[in-house]
Amino acid sequence: MFREIVSHTSGLQFLVENLGVRSPMGRRYLLDSKMMCCEKEITAELNLVDRVVKALELNSDLISQIQNKLAQLRDIRGSVNNLLGNLVLDDVELFEIKVFALVAQEIVELQKEGKQSFLEIQDLSQLIRLLDPQNTKIPSFYIYDNYSIDLAEARKELKLAKSKNEDSELDIEVLFNKAQVIEAKVREDLCSKISLHGAGLANALQQLAHLDLLIAKAVQAKSLHLSKGEVSKENTIYRGLFNPMIKNELANQNKEYQAIDIELEKSVCLITGANMAGKTVVLKTLALCQYLFQFGFFVPATSAQISIVDQVMISVGDEQSELNGLSSFASEMLNVSRMVKDSKSHNNVLVLIDELARTTNPVEGLAIVNAVAAIFYHGKIKSVITTHYSGLKSKFRKLRVKGLDKDLGANVITHKNINSYMDYSLVEDLEGEVPHEALRIASLLGIDKEIIERAQNQLACKNKL
Amino acid sequence: MPFLNDIENYKSLSIVGLAKNTGKTECLNYVLSRLRDSRKQIALTSIGIDGENRDQVTQTNKPEIELSEGMIFVTSELHYKQRKLISEVIDVSRQSTSLGRLVSAKALSKGKVLLSGPVSNHSIKELIADLKNKGVELCIVDGALSRKSIGSPAVTEAMILATGAALSANITQLVYKTKYVYDLIQLPEIELNLKTQFAEVDNGIWAIDSEGNARDTGISSVLLIKKEKDKLFQHGNCFFVSGAVTDQFLDFLKNQKQISEIKLIVRDFTRVFAKPETYYAFVKRGGSVQVLNKTNLIAITINPVSPDGYRLNSDDLKSALQDKVNVPVYDIKKM
Repeated sequence: MFREIVSHTSGLQFLVENLGVRSPMGRRYLLDSKMMCCEKEITAELNLVDRVVKALELNSDLISQIQNKLAQLRDIRGSVNNLLGNLVLDDVELFEIKVFALVAQEIVELQKEGKQSFLEIQDLSQLIRLLDPQNTKIPSFYIYDNYSIDLAEARKELKLAKSKNEDSELDIEVLFNKAQVIEAKVREDLCSKISLHGAGLANALQQLAHLDLLIAKAVQAKSLHLSKGEVSKENTIYRGLFNPMIKNELANQNKEYQAIDIELEKSVCLITGANMAGKTVVLKTLALCQYLFQFGFFVPATSAQISIVDQVMISVGDEQSELNGLSSFASEMLNVSRMVKDSKSHNNVLVLIDELARTTNPVEGLAIVNAVAAIFYHGKIKSVITTHYSGLKSKFRKLRVKGLDKDLGANVITHKNINSYMDYSLVEDLEGEVPHEALRIASLLGIDKEIIERAQNQLACKNKL
Repeated sequence: MPFLNDIENYKSLSIVGLAKNTGKTECLNYVLSRLRDSRKQIALTSIGIDGENRDQVTQTNKPEIELSEGMIFVTSELHYKQRKLISEVIDVSRQSTSLGRLVSAKALSKGKVLLSGPVSNHSIKELIADLKNKGVELCIVDGALSRKSIGSPAVTEAMILATGAALSANITQLVYKTKYVYDLIQLPEIELNLKTQFAEVDNGIWAIDSEGNARDTGISSVLLIKKEKDKLFQHGNCFFVSGAVTDQFLDFLKNQKQISEIKLIVRDFTRVFAKPETYYAFVKRGGSVQVLNKTNLIAITINPVSPDGYRLNSDDLKSALQDKVNVPVYDIKKM
């Protein structure tokens, strides 16, 4: 469910907070939605979003009118459940249902007027007729005189008695109680009539929540320049992939985000590259996009063909391990082991592992990377592993972040502007060697000079030998 | 009765009783009966729920308000169910009180209702603004002067104070106590600049420095003044106290050598919880008090009869009080 995924997927929270859902049930609808794994479902949802996106270009007025109406809606789930449970509702509940139905009907009318039906909304006009016997369309409610001649009579009698001021309090009390008894009966009848519309009301509630979400998705897609992903039977291909949260953060600092292209086969792919080259961001963005796509959102890329998976598994090494008494290595290994196990039983998954076995010695670490990669390679598991280790087996596909290849000229790089000189694009790498730029990056970060010098001396000695 | 003309000038009015049975409800019913013929759209609500609720415990009669046709009233769901009139729901609040959500309704016949209402100052203001949007021209708030309630009737533009024998059976005492509240209501309002600075502040003691800027003294409540005395005067002698002002605090200020420079700002008159003796001593020594929100007192009503049957001489009481205050005084039983 979206509710669980949002908390542990980096960047998704940002998008949800930015999503302009207007009604309380729109939000609930999103949080309760399940990840779609069926091509038909995903395409249908994306087509609906697309329709709203297109309408935003042509008729944004209509959309904002609908949004204003959606903002007036209240979550009347409780009253609807009472109705479905055949309970007798009180005036306040009936009022809420009436107001809801009136607003829902206004949205239906707006869609009709704009000749745009984004989503079919249940027709509630019969229900409105029951709750608005005077046909005023005013959002107010009481047990109207129109419901029963007896009630009207009783009330008239009561009013007369009150205005005469002759009758004693007691007489008025008797008349009032008589009117109350009739009113209770009328209410019962009314509720049993309305309860026939309970299911329709529940439908409308869901549909309006869905419409709210669709519009919010479309507005966000437009403002963040997201695009509609297509279902791919083969490889997953992103062109111009970016991370909306980081892009936004960079924009705040007047910096630009460099979008990248990436293609994933149904096999393992290793990503190498210098530190600060954005490998982790790539992994997190891949997870984000896969979820967005399968929850029916547009994705942060200029174009995307995405193959559907049953599950996304990601290890980025920020699990809390101190609390359960495991070292960071142990908790990573247990996590990876679970992923390997799951991928064996369930091969249509996306596995993303950041810097596998980084917390142990490079010799055994490399062996672990090669072993895990081999399992995914043979199992044809769509997977990405980032690493700093050299000596990766040549049969695995490797992508390398270009890194600090750009022409620097006379400019001095610091950790503050490194972002502008780093080339984040990915290139196919046929060698097993990884870039050795750790010291360079470290010195750019302005760390203690002695560390750099001593490390360089050590490397020089080794090379001489 | 003349003060009805004064009401015409305001958009919101609260009616506040100094004690139980000082005739607040009678005063409210009177005002309503007189407004019956005006063409104004009138709405009624109350502050909080505790005042009337206690009556359920003591089993005394809960005051019901008599509404006439066409009036709007706001009450909790629980009290709405107990209404004795025919009415039409026109709104339901999103927030809930302990007696359920607040229901706004329009009376379709005359009859009695029990009122309860929003609890905090903020929500009362919001409700009044919302009612204005619904076309209400005068919003009447049944206000309790309760220390428990965080909502204060001072948020309304105008106010009527109800006092009477229930507060004290001795005319001198009754006048003294009423005059004290009257004096507090008449406290001057601070200038707009400071008002905006403190509008959102909801805790602590703040100082205003020589440039007129608000500075937090770091003291969270006047109750802690004993322990943090040293911090108080670091930014000057002018303070805004967001919560209650107590005897202890006024006593402490009174004894400072720079007393004549000390200026105290409180949210509104209901926040001064000190005994009249303490307050007057503070003022006599040269201290001054101002308020963030001032309301216009338009009349004081007196109820010469106490709930235990004791009856004061209405004319004596009236003239004794009228001597002391600059607003009209009326006997609720003679109106």
